[in-house]
Amino acid sequence: MRRLFLVIVVGWQLLLLPCTISANDGLSGEPIRPVPRRHDENSRKVALGERLFHDPRLSGDDTVACSSCHQLAIGGVDRLPRSFGVGGAVGVINTPTVYNSGFNVAQFWDGRARDLEQQVEGPVHNPVEMLSDWPQVIAKLNKDEQYPAVFQAVYGDRIKREYIRDAIAAFERTLITPNSPFDRWLLGDFKALSEQQKRGYSLFKSYGCVACHQGVNVGGNMYQHMGAMGDYFSDRDEAVSDADLGRYNVTGDASDRHYFKVPSLRLAALTPPYFHDASVDTLQEAIRVMGLYQLGRNIPDADVQAIEAFIKSLVGTHPRLNP
Amino acid sequence: MKGGRFGVAQYVLLVAMVGVILLFVQNRAMDVEQHNQRVDLLLQLKQVEGELDRDVLLVTSFLLEQYDSLVKTTHRLHRLSGEIQSAELDVSGEGAERYRTELSGYLDTQQRKLALMERIKSKAALVRNGLHYLPAAAKQLHEEDERLGSEVSDVLAELLRYNLLSSDSGHWHIARRLNELARSTSVPVAARIAYDNVLFHMQANLRLTGELDQLRSAYTAIPGIERFDALYAAYTDLYAAQSRRAEIFSLVLLVLTVALIGGLGWAFRDIYRERRRAQRAWNQLRDAVESLSEAFALYAPDGRLVLHNRRYLDCYPWLSEQLGPNMLLSAVRSANKRAGVQVQYDSEKAEPVESELPGGQGRTYVEQLREGRWYLASDTRTSAGETVCVRVDISDSMRREQELRKLYRALEQSPASVVITNTEGNIEYVNPKFEESTGYTAEEAIGQNPRILKSGDKSPEEYKDMWETITAGKVWRGQFHNKRKDGAIYWEAASISPVRDGEGDITHFIAVKEDITARKRAEDQLRLNATVFDTTTEGIIVTDADGRIKTVNPAFTRITGYEAEEVVGKKPSLLSSGRHDEDFYTAMWHGIRTRGYWSGEIWNRRKDGSVFPEWLSLASIPNDRGEVQEYVAVFSDITRRKQDEEQIRRQANYDALTGLPNRSLLVDRLARSIAGARREDSMIALLFIDLDRFKGVNDTLGHVMGDELLQMVAERLQVCVREVDTVARFGGDEFVVILEDVKQANDAAEVAKKIIAELDSAFSLANREVFIGASIGITLFPTDTDDPSSMLRNADMAMYRAKDAGRNNYQFFTLTMNEQVQQRMALENDLRLALERDELALHYQPIVRFDSGELVGVEALLRWRHPQRGMVSPDTFIPLAEETGLIGPIGRWVLKTAVAQAAEWRRAGLHMRMSVNLSSRQLSLGLTVDEVADTLAENDLPAAALTLEITEGMMLEGAGEMLTWLKALKKLGVGLSVDDFGTGFSSLSYLKRFPMDTLKIDRSFVDGLPDDREDVSLVQAIVAMADSLDLKIVAEGVETERQRRFLQHLGCDLAQGYLFSKPLWAEAIPAFVSAQGTGPKAALMDGG
Repeated sequence: MRRLFLVIVVGWQLLLLPCTISANDGLSGEPIRPVPRRHDENSRKVALGERLFHDPRLSGDDTVACSSCHQLAIGGVDRLPRSFGVGGAVGVINTPTVYNSGFNVAQFWDGRARDLEQQVEGPVHNPVEMLSDWPQVIAKLNKDEQYPAVFQAVYGDRIKREYIRDAIAAFERTLITPNSPFDRWLLGDFKALSEQQKRGYSLFKSYGCVACHQGVNVGGNMYQHMGAMGDYFSDRDEAVSDADLGRYNVTGDASDRHYFKVPSLRLAALTPPYFHDASVDTLQEAIRVMGLYQLGRNIPDADVQAIEAFIKSLVGTHPRLNP
Repeated sequence: MKGGRFGVAQYVLLVAMVGVILLFVQNRAMDVEQHNQRVDLLLQLKQVEGELDRDVLLVTSFLLEQYDSLVKTTHRLHRLSGEIQSAELDVSGEGAERYRTELSGYLDTQQRKLALMERIKSKAALVRNGLHYLPAAAKQLHEEDERLGSEVSDVLAELLRYNLLSSDSGHWHIARRLNELARSTSVPVAARIAYDNVLFHMQANLRLTGELDQLRSAYTAIPGIERFDALYAAYTDLYAAQSRRAEIFSLVLLVLTVALIGGLGWAFRDIYRERRRAQRAWNQLRDAVESLSEAFALYAPDGRLVLHNRRYLDCYPWLSEQLGPNMLLSAVRSANKRAGVQVQYDSEKAEPVESELPGGQGRTYVEQLREGRWYLASDTRTSAGETVCVRVDISDSMRREQELRKLYRALEQSPASVVITNTEGNIEYVNPKFEESTGYTAEEAIGQNPRILKSGDKSPEEYKDMWETITAGKVWRGQFHNKRKDGAIYWEAASISPVRDGEGDITHFIAVKEDITARKRAEDQLRLNATVFDTTTEGIIVTDADGRIKTVNPAFTRITGYEAEEVVGKKPSLLSSGRHDEDFYTAMWHGIRTRGYWSGEIWNRRKDGSVFPEWLSLASIPNDRGEVQEYVAVFSDITRRKQDEEQIRRQANYDALTGLPNRSLLVDRLARSIAGARREDSMIALLFIDLDRFKGVNDTLGHVMGDELLQMVAERLQVCVREVDTVARFGGDEFVVILEDVKQANDAAEVAKKIIAELDSAFSLANREVFIGASIGITLFPTDTDDPSSMLRNADMAMYRAKDAGRNNYQFFTLTMNEQVQQRMALENDLRLALERDELALHYQPIVRFDSGELVGVEALLRWRHPQRGMVSPDTFIPLAEETGLIGPIGRWVLKTAVAQAAEWRRAGLHMRMSVNLSSRQLSLGLTVDEVADTLAENDLPAAALTLEITEGMMLEGAGEMLTWLKALKKLGVGLSVDDFGTGFSSLSYLKRFPMDTLKIDRSFVDGLPDDREDVSLVQAIVAMADSLDLKIVAEGVETERQRRFLQHLGCDLAQGYLFSKPLWAEAIPAFVSAQGTGPKAALMDGG
């Protein structure tokens, strides 16, 4: 019997050998990669994008800017379950952070925008967000004293929709948060993490969280079934809404029901409430829910705390970020 | 014919050129660089697809630690798809459709691959987690129960194998075994959880592995390579087809080019022939030009000299050196100008010679040279743009014309009319002066006979005489009284003489005429002026510069009595009345010297010695050099006007609006009436009338309507009284009526009733009915008083009494009224002394808790013990104190006393709040916040122990200042309470603005509880409102147990009233507190 068991263990080791081997060649073998310290966007374009990002004229009644919901100082979110749009309209889904969004495979919870440029279209036209359209926005920007000249200087042309999208996307690509304690640890500063955080990272990997939350953005590069190992939506009190259908809304394929883009954990410590439906207020509870429904595991409190400590070590820096 | 052929040739050339360009462009449509780029893109796409396949393989083999590389591949694939799709747009021609279909098919497979890859990523992550976890789970089970652990491990080993090798049969086999295990009943309870857990994860892992397997198969089944090969083949075919087409285009291009070059050679031959023909024509032209008698030159469109003859050089000898084929027309013109050639035009409108002539037009002008030679110049522009210059020498005729022009100009400018007729008398010429003086234009006059000007006052004999004189060849002179075209008559002096030709025969008559109308008119004007001078009613004196009278008119004589002969040569000062001093005359002369005139009122003396006022206007008349030549004085007797002014002054006693006697006249009349009544021992009545709602009318309809209303009232009042009575306007909307000779008081009452009835009926104003009314006070003489001013005061007082009694009625003045006034004054005096005499005292009414009856505070109540009257009610003396300002010192005393008392109790261990009433007048009388603070500090009482009570009225009054005052008090820590709440008009908004803590429900509402429905709902509302504003409630005047229960039930906190205690002397308060122990019932008994 003991022999059989040994076979299994050895077999498993064989199966997973490639991972082990790649893990040996230094920290580069870790499934999480550090956030780059630099971006290579054009600085004038970025400055223009930043102005537009904060400009409420992109909304129908001049009250809502990108920055209204994506408040850069507190983590690129508004920390509300649902954001408020033009005229007090309430959104249908929790606002994800704008930081590090350039690393994502696609934008929005359901990935309906292929890139940041496409993403800009979404909120501008959404009736519960900014409720506007491009001709209206461009007409308003043309009345500004400076915009026409700035666009001319940056793009050599008058104001057009693709330039607005390009500038905002360029700005958003600069919203990266390098230098987190964890990244420093990855790059060789072994004192950057506490023992608990190191243990948290190790648990994060061994529980299997890292299977989805990996890469530079600790997530954001794939989709996953919300409730892979347990029926999250039937356990939840609320009825299933359209937004809960996730990626199905984009592909129309029944097997994509309840699939969502795996959110980045880079700033998770700063951006409660959690999940697309904002059903959980604390990070610990989120870790517990994830363990239960995504891993089929009950994670003990001590482990939850260690993982939480690890997630907190993922928070990097950005000049605008000031939580 | 030739032109037609050229046109066709041009057209063919154009078409050919367009063809060549089109072919060239077509050929460029598929250039090599573009082809390379496209192939490169396709290959890149294929390469990325390969990367994708490799990544998917890595994912399914769990070899990929993180998916960032997949993100990059995905983005790159998206970008390449976008690029190739936009490049595909300009693909056209044979095979393009197939290429496009293949391309979109291929891109579609890519998208499908991407979609599958996303699902593979998700599944792979889950499967991998299962693989990680299962050994640990199995191990845990093994530790719990070795037998079960072995069984499960067995299946687990199969699962592992399945994972490595993955076959369908393996899947079903493991699934069956797992089902068996799940059905197993021999699981010990202790191992149940671990057993279920490991089975759950194994089942999930098996299911997910199966799904992953299917996805992998689906992915590999996508025919990526085949589609790419098909796409690439389609593209190669497209490119080949386009290359073939390009070759055909090149060939056509070659043929066209050869044809064009051939055509060009043929055209050159044609041109050469044409040139030779033109040369021959040129030579013929030059010979013809040389033989012309006029000077001739031809300039090309660019101004270059083309051709000229010898005579042209003769005309401008100075050009001979320069004139050559390259001489420019502008250079010729400037050389001519230097040589002194002047250009003259026939008409003013002609353009300057230098300007360009429009094609096909000519310009003719005259050139004058220095040596007195004249050329008639003609410059003509041909349709081809050349300028043809022709010169003819016209010096002789020009000289003659110049002479004639001088004479003609003299005639045109002559100040006399000139008419030339033929021997029949028909007009052949008139000059501009004639047009001006007759109104006929030259065109109208020419061909007419001069008799069109006849006014008809000259006899036929005179005309006959004139004709005989001039036909005899003599000059006739005389005057005409002529008629202008517009009918106006004018005078002319004329001289008519005949003109003879070479043979001495008369050919024409010339009439030269001068307009003498103005002279005639001036004579008439002088006559007219003389008549005005003689007939005007105003006296006129004309003096010389020294002031000696030169002449006077008859009116002067009428006014002053002096004849002209008596005053001529004298100075006007003989009229002086002596009423004006030296300064007056100095000012008058100053006005004349500086401004040239003076006018004003002056008193003069007539010949008979009487003095009269006159309005005098003096003016100086300067001569041409501006020196004074004469003075003219015009004056009128204004005795009558002076009398009128007197009349106006007298009317100042009447009210301008209503025409009624005004106040001053009223006082006058009243005095006279009283005097008369005294003399005749009769009685008079004085009615003081005040309109009740006049102010409303004024405010709503405006002052104009208000004035109209007052006029109507005046009319109605006058109807109500007799002729002998006086109706006066006293001021504003107050009227006074004096009734003369009243027999009894009732007579006056009757008139008052009549007036009230009259003024009570509707007034029609601004198209609407307006109702006012009147209150009337009546006083009688000699019954009430015998002096006019106190009569007015008495009536006024009675009128106010009438108003108090409800308006629209009348009141007689009574001595009682007077007494009340006296009494009030006495009370006021006593109140002034009350503080000094120590007659004021404070009582304290307990404020208790509803539930426990516990005393929480007292309200300080002011009492006045009057030495004669006994207790005076605060309702009587507080308003009086407020009116007179005595509330200032009294209020201070109350505050100090109450605070001192509270401090004393405090020292004795009695802690309670002291409520003190404030009056709004105290603010204006200077009770400052500092003073309150000082009072508290002096007595060492904390501010929180003091509550100041204000009334609702105070909140409504001077909101701004009051608000600041109260806020400052509040800041001090003093409590603020609204007294008698509910009686005023305060609203929620007021309460919110003011920093209040407590509301005191007025006793009048508590009275009705709990039976009066209205009171109940009102008190409920107040309590609810207080709750919402977080205010405490004190119910005032709680007298019965039922009220107490009701209010307590409503949730009132505090109460004040006889049920608990009446107001007590300070000394009784400690006893009340100690009696509390027995509860509210005891308090009730104490309070009685």
